[in-house]
Amino acid sequence: MTLDTAESIREESVETARERPRKAPRAKEFGVPPPAYDPSAPEDVTILPVGSPTTVRSYVRELLRRHRRTFILLIAVNTVAVVASMAGPQLLGGVVDGLADGERDLHLGRVVALFTAALVIQTVFTQQVRLRGSVLGEEMLADLREDFLVRSVQLPPGVLERAGTGDLLSRITTDIDRLGDAMRRAVPQLAIAVVWMVLLLAALGFTAPPLALAVLLTLPVLVPGCRWYFRRAPRSYRAEAAGYAAVAAALAETVDSGRTVEAHRLGARRIALSERRIAEWTAWERRTLWLRTVLFPVINLSNMLVLGGVLILGGIFVLQGWISVGQLTTGALLAQMLIEPVELILRWYDELQVAQVSLARLVGVREIEPDNGDSAVTPDGQEVRATDVRFGYHDGVDVLHGVTLEVPPGTRVALVGPSGAGKSTLGRLLAGVYGPRRGEVTLGGAELTDMPAEEVRRHVALVNQEHHVFVGSLRDNLLLARPEAADAELWAALGAVDADGWATALDDGLDCEVGSGGVTVTPAQAQQIALARLVLADPHTLVLDEATSLLDPRAARHLERSLAHVLDGRTVVAIAHRLHTAHDADVIAVVEDGRISELGSHDALVSAGGPYAALWRSWHG
Amino acid sequence: MQIRDLPYADPGVPDVRSGFRLLVWLGRNQLGGQLKALAWGVLHLASIALFPVVAGLAVEAAVDRSGERLAVAGAVMTVVTLTVALGDTMLHRVAVTNWITAAARVQQLLARRAAALGSTLTRRVAAGEVVAVSTGDIERIGWCVEAVSRFSAALLTTLAVCAALVVYEPQIGLLACAGMLALALTVLPLLPRATRRADFQRERAGRATELAADTVAGLRVLRGIGGEELFLSRYRRVSQEVRRAAVRTARMWALIEAVQVAIPGLLLVGVVWYGTGLALDGRITAGELVMAYGAMTFLLFPLRLFGEFAMSYSFSRPSAARAARVLSLHRSSESAEAGAGASPGPGATGVAGVDRVAGVDRVAGVDRVAGGASPVPPPSGSVCVPDAGDAGDAADTAGLYDPVSGLHAAAGQLTAVVCGDPDEAGRLAERLGGHPVDEPGEDEAGQDEPVEGGTRRQDTVVGETVVGEVEAQGEAGPPREAGIGTGTGSAPGHAGHRSAVLDGVPLDAMPLEAARTAVLVQDKDPMLLSGTLAELLDVPSSGAVGVHQALEAAHCSDVLTALVQGSPDAEGDPMRARLTERGRSLSGGQRQRLALARSLITDPDVLVLDEPTSAVDSHTEARIARSLRQLRQGRTTVVFSSSPLLLDRADRVVFVHDGTASAEGTHRELVRTDAAYRAVVTREPEPEPEPEPEPAGPPGGALTRTAKTEGAKSA
Repeated sequence: MTLDTAESIREESVETARERPRKAPRAKEFGVPPPAYDPSAPEDVTILPVGSPTTVRSYVRELLRRHRRTFILLIAVNTVAVVASMAGPQLLGGVVDGLADGERDLHLGRVVALFTAALVIQTVFTQQVRLRGSVLGEEMLADLREDFLVRSVQLPPGVLERAGTGDLLSRITTDIDRLGDAMRRAVPQLAIAVVWMVLLLAALGFTAPPLALAVLLTLPVLVPGCRWYFRRAPRSYRAEAAGYAAVAAALAETVDSGRTVEAHRLGARRIALSERRIAEWTAWERRTLWLRTVLFPVINLSNMLVLGGVLILGGIFVLQGWISVGQLTTGALLAQMLIEPVELILRWYDELQVAQVSLARLVGVREIEPDNGDSAVTPDGQEVRATDVRFGYHDGVDVLHGVTLEVPPGTRVALVGPSGAGKSTLGRLLAGVYGPRRGEVTLGGAELTDMPAEEVRRHVALVNQEHHVFVGSLRDNLLLARPEAADAELWAALGAVDADGWATALDDGLDCEVGSGGVTVTPAQAQQIALARLVLADPHTLVLDEATSLLDPRAARHLERSLAHVLDGRTVVAIAHRLHTAHDADVIAVVEDGRISELGSHDALVSAGGPYAALWRSWHG
Repeated sequence: MQIRDLPYADPGVPDVRSGFRLLVWLGRNQLGGQLKALAWGVLHLASIALFPVVAGLAVEAAVDRSGERLAVAGAVMTVVTLTVALGDTMLHRVAVTNWITAAARVQQLLARRAAALGSTLTRRVAAGEVVAVSTGDIERIGWCVEAVSRFSAALLTTLAVCAALVVYEPQIGLLACAGMLALALTVLPLLPRATRRADFQRERAGRATELAADTVAGLRVLRGIGGEELFLSRYRRVSQEVRRAAVRTARMWALIEAVQVAIPGLLLVGVVWYGTGLALDGRITAGELVMAYGAMTFLLFPLRLFGEFAMSYSFSRPSAARAARVLSLHRSSESAEAGAGASPGPGATGVAGVDRVAGVDRVAGVDRVAGGASPVPPPSGSVCVPDAGDAGDAADTAGLYDPVSGLHAAAGQLTAVVCGDPDEAGRLAERLGGHPVDEPGEDEAGQDEPVEGGTRRQDTVVGETVVGEVEAQGEAGPPREAGIGTGTGSAPGHAGHRSAVLDGVPLDAMPLEAARTAVLVQDKDPMLLSGTLAELLDVPSSGAVGVHQALEAAHCSDVLTALVQGSPDAEGDPMRARLTERGRSLSGGQRQRLALARSLITDPDVLVLDEPTSAVDSHTEARIARSLRQLRQGRTTVVFSSSPLLLDRADRVVFVHDGTASAEGTHRELVRTDAAYRAVVTREPEPEPEPEPEPAGPPGGALTRTAKTEGAKSA
């Protein structure tokens, strides 16, 4: 085993820091025990499922089936390369036999010609093996990441809303990265090494069957050693990689939060944190180094046992006259060649074990039922109505307790109330993101939960604080709302939200690259892009979840004008953190403790002298 | 140095003059480990090199039918086996230790750098560079540093084997030497091309990951509005590009591997050809032929180490250069304090961005040299406050004063600031803390400007006063040299920066740490550092405000509930609940309230809050306004806001218009008398010409109604 193992580990991808105190290690073992703290233990609640072994297995089978041809081709070229590589030992064995028998004519010309021919074949096919291996690995890897994204974009909006995107994000970045090495190298290398080893053993048995016995000598050393190692290795390497990532993550956070760190004088603490992370990471490095300190002698010993066994046993066999000197020579050289595939297998095997965990996380997304609305259900009319709706995120804890609200077409309803009262939840139910636990939410008489998401969004859109500007051209950012729209329509939409001014000023107009890495758009512009999308998507009902609250006042005022253009002629349910938004609504619903406690126009509520009136007075005090 | 002793108590002062020097410095710092690796490496390779000899002995014994010599071969084999195992394992241990200690050292240096650079990092390219160094570069640097000893070991053994072959059988030996040279000359030129392709592939892969992450991050938008297919097809395109780039790289590696098979193979053919001839002539035995063949295959092994070293060096060169660049970044206040010896000197180019804060910080450094250990307060008579015309008397009184805008926050009072332009508000808030950082717009300017020519963008008064004093003491030379020698540029033409003044003392003249202790500026977008809630709130503080008191004042109870729900490990204790990175699992308003609680715990003499509740709903904001006032009773507090709920609670409201404090009074007074102010805080579309509010509109109506009831209290 060479240092390559360590290097492959260094190449491990960087991932976000995760941590959680672990239970105390089990029985004490000799050497360096695993550190008590495991940085790879998941910190966040895994909200999305992790694939079961069955799902993983069936996916791997499917993947292999898809790439059957490449796989078979790899095995084939590999077989040719390995067989060609055995020509040298065979030919030398013949030469030695001849020399031992005192022959004068060894057909040296023919030997050299054959050797050269075999070398040419070996060279060409080795190049092919390497290339085919990469082709296979890369194709599988590309499939994996594309499959994952395909599944991700089919997730029901309710699942996304609840799970957030963090879990998915870490899967598409960290887990894909981790699988990269496994797919790119471990799978092809293992395939190559196994074929290689089998062929060498076969050749050894073919050359001199008694010599194959020498291989058995290694089993008592190799098998227990590897079992010991592989039982401990995957977890330790996982922890080590996560620990290393945590070092980088701590630093990245210090850099990212430079202002806060400086303002709160946290510099010394950040340094201490980084050093703690380094100590945690290196503790696992010590652990894995110890594991290898056991494994290396085992491997070296088995290698030498094979070679020594072949040489000494073979020597005895020659003395006994069971095999020839040539067979001994060939056998010894073949035994020497065995070292490499064995090392390859040992080196990549634990990589594959680590990869399995990531694969399970990626495949887990397949276990979520895609959202199966009935496309036959279509609304008749535009009225949104919630009837005695009860809903909670956790069993037994309702956030909404029997809310009934009617939103006639064309009206503006404002939901106001303190944080945590259930305003946003009610908004999401009205937009069909969640289905109620009891009661029903209907659009034009049809239940929202019975419709597929693609149908619901033609009628109702939820606009929240998330004004994601996608990496890509401004055109792509708008086209997503109406893929078939022509440029003129896009410009019209931008014009409708007062964004055509700055958009025209961009160097490439609609082709301008925005999002991270491209032209930086201000939060206000991001919001205008989001509004322009709404103009293009053209739903008749909008649920605004405090769309402008994160913006600074001046930008917000400007945006409210853009917003007004968008809202014109649509039914609007606005969740208002700020009272001036509420003031203009036709109906204000005050939500408190999951119930609607007041309902009416601004003037009516102010004169009623209830909680809304009190708040309004302090706002304008 | 053993791994268990990490981290270093002191990672030392790196040589950052160039990437190469950094590598040398790192290597020199682990000389012992390097020598150990060299020794074990030689043992390991030498043992392996003995292997063909054993094989030759055994074959010869078999040819000669000598059981005795076979037994000798067996004994030698046993010894060789043990030394190979020992050498391999120990080499690995020492090499990995070298790698890890080098990597840990650089990580520690980076952490120290990042902490020292603080806010100067956030708006600069440098931020990305620091992270790039810590994620990718360190591995390559450690690898290269560590590979030196293994490379040396391989070189030594190879030379020895070649020499032995030359002595033993000159022609075969020379053939071997020629073959090695040929191999090196063929493969080495291919390596840079392969690494270039690998870099391109990595860059493409990074792009694909970014696109995927971006798509997932905006998934809710996609699911809510549409466009899934559009983004999928876009991702598929990039993903396939990555695949093609990877296969292109693999093509190069495959070629290299083929060369590595072909040339040694040719050597073997040569050995068989020539050696068999020799054997036929009876000049060598069959066993010796096997030995020569085996020796040739052995040479492949150190060859691989040569290749690896060449690769690690070509990989790590750019990485080391970047690391050296990042490690040489510094605020000039540090260099003035630490002296020229510790700092990298003027050779550090391309880092002008961070250096440019020099102008401000240097003065502080000089002041510290002059003033001794306790720079606060500086000699009061020597500080003359500028612009005495409009606000000179204000500065004399206790409190915080900004000479640029004329804003004055009286000591012990709650001052609210209303600023029409949010960007300007941000700048003003930053100025109030002292030691401000350049605006990003100036980043490109002055990259390579000579230092001496540049004047400080900070106005001269504070600087001259302090420096003048130093000169009077005859000590101006050295510290000033140090400062100038390390600063690389200054932002030209940015007039009008003058330090904010706290209780008569310019903040810029205080050391950074002292200024930050005196005044805490919570910016518009405060970061929540990940960890448990207890860790988040464990900040340097006066100790006067308890955690629960602060959380209550910031009305965080729903935040605590949310945190406990999202953190099953915490077992119901919110202080043990974990915040995800940047507090992403919380809403904007929840994040703001936690940040506010943290600032309240710090309990600084002066607290400046920039829009602390802009994302908080009106109900909660009203309550926060009340408790903020209570908690900060008797302390100086400045709140930038345009929300009437907060403004109404302030002792005084200052309206900053076009960069100057144009009006001040209570919220009610200003609403009544200042149309521009009213336009900002009540969000009326445009400032109306007539100053009196029309009685019909709800804003005016509400105002007059409540003004009557609560007017007495605020007066």
